Amino acid sequence: MAFLEVRCLTKEFYGLRALDRVDFSVEERKILGIIGPNGAGKTTLFNIISGILRPTAGEIQFQGARINHLKPHQIAMAGIARTFQIVRPFGNFTVLKNVLVGFGHRFYPGLFSSAYRFEKETHLERAREILARVGMETYQGSIAKNLPLGLKKHLEIARALALDPSLLLLDEPMAGLQYEEFEKLAGLIRGLREEGITIVLIEHNMQVVMDLCERIVVLDHGVKIAEGSPEEVRTDPQVIEAYIGQEETVA
Amino acid sequence: MIWQQFANGLAIGSVYALIALGLTMVYGVLRILHIAHAGVYALGAYVGLLVFRFIPNFWLALAITMVASSFAGIILQRYLYAPLLALPRIVPLIASIGLFIAMEEIFRLIAGPYILAFPADPGLGGIEWGIVRITNNQFLVFLVTVSLLATLWFVMSKTKLGLAMKATSQDLEIASVMGINTERIIATNFLIGSALAGAAGVLVGVYFNSVYPTMGSIPAYKALAIIVLGGLGSIPGTVLGGLLIGLGETLLLGLINIPFPRDALAFIIMIIILMFRPYGLLGKE
Repeated sequence: MAFLEVRCLTKEFYGLRALDRVDFSVEERKILGIIGPNGAGKTTLFNIISGILRPTAGEIQFQGARINHLKPHQIAMAGIARTFQIVRPFGNFTVLKNVLVGFGHRFYPGLFSSAYRFEKETHLERAREILARVGMETYQGSIAKNLPLGLKKHLEIARALALDPSLLLLDEPMAGLQYEEFEKLAGLIRGLREEGITIVLIEHNMQVVMDLCERIVVLDHGVKIAEGSPEEVRTDPQVIEAYIGQEETVA
Repeated sequence: MIWQQFANGLAIGSVYALIALGLTMVYGVLRILHIAHAGVYALGAYVGLLVFRFIPNFWLALAITMVASSFAGIILQRYLYAPLLALPRIVPLIASIGLFIAMEEIFRLIAGPYILAFPADPGLGGIEWGIVRITNNQFLVFLVTVSLLATLWFVMSKTKLGLAMKATSQDLEIASVMGINTERIIATNFLIGSALAGAAGVLVGVYFNSVYPTMGSIPAYKALAIIVLGGLGSIPGTVLGGLLIGLGETLLLGLINIPFPRDALAFIIMIIILMFRPYGLLGKE
């Protein structure tokens, strides 16, 4: 049984097919890369897995249970966390508070627990640990909207980690980062996988995808055109075709 | 004399703040203007009076009113706004205005077009400090609004619920992906806001000893001026805006004895503040 299984997933927007019968699966503790030209449907796929959008047809199974009818907060509680391509921290909160919100699934389970105070020492300690994990422990008091993009990207990951996820969906975590930051972030992603988190990664930067991922799924215009190891995908004629004329070239 | 007016202004201003808070909270999570909120305020006054006529105890009437109006708020959210949220924002706005007018007509049909007296005595007694005399009713308004606002402040700034509410008002989608049940948070905003509006209805009913069908009309647009003045979606800004307008009305118009339309002052203050602070007193971009 696959850890995450996407079957025949279709999404239509006003008659346009953003995703067309997409199938793939992810094994536990693996990193799956999703690549494809702009408009291929990658972010739509994430929006469906995380419950923000409902699929037109198809099914998603997570650890053997169907999740595509669940609401976003239920999916988050089931252990799927995500980041967004365009970073969206809670801008008016401090970095630490952003992470505290991410504790959501342990925080707001019942009616009465919601009256508890959130600044408990145990919560704060755990939040600081997570910030240290992404190298942001010195920024805990900063207001999130004032951070530079690189740190916002790391905060986005820290907030997702606060959910204690077993599956992490990363939407272009490297986009907009300096080249020197790539290796650090790649190291963090590998480290998370070592800790047992399964990762699905959307990424434009081919080098990063090829280095990090065991398997790669290629989407083009909502259709899966290839799947396989980095080597197989790199030499696939359909993939080369899809990328001709795009800004990216297959290395 | 000036301190007397000051006490008056604070009493009226804090009631304005109570009414406007629900509006700002709903705007914070849904980005819609909940005009029918002033209908919930008038409903509160009627429910309070009804309870009071059966059991003449002010505190019981206040408590039952707050429960009843929070139910009313949740029903409005569920059956009026939730189905309209996917549509352009003008649709829930128009529906809200329509519902407000309908509510006023319903009050008129059921209770009649008369001004009803609300002669409750909370049994607090007045206070006198030198030249300042705080009347029984003013003291009541202070006591109730300050304790409600303090409770709200505690919930919003210290509890998990408050954190979830603030997170939801900043970015609903992200909050839901972070495991927060945003539908429940939206309902909670309506619940708290409507309970406060119902309490304000009872307080005003007792303060002016009058309850009538259109008592929500002027607060409806004044609350709009207050939330824009305070900064849309900002809770402290709304409290500040309410107090400012309440004080402004009583001080300016009570001291300078000119025939000035009292109810226009809220908008004049709003316009002046917006010229210098386009996002309102405590608003954020």
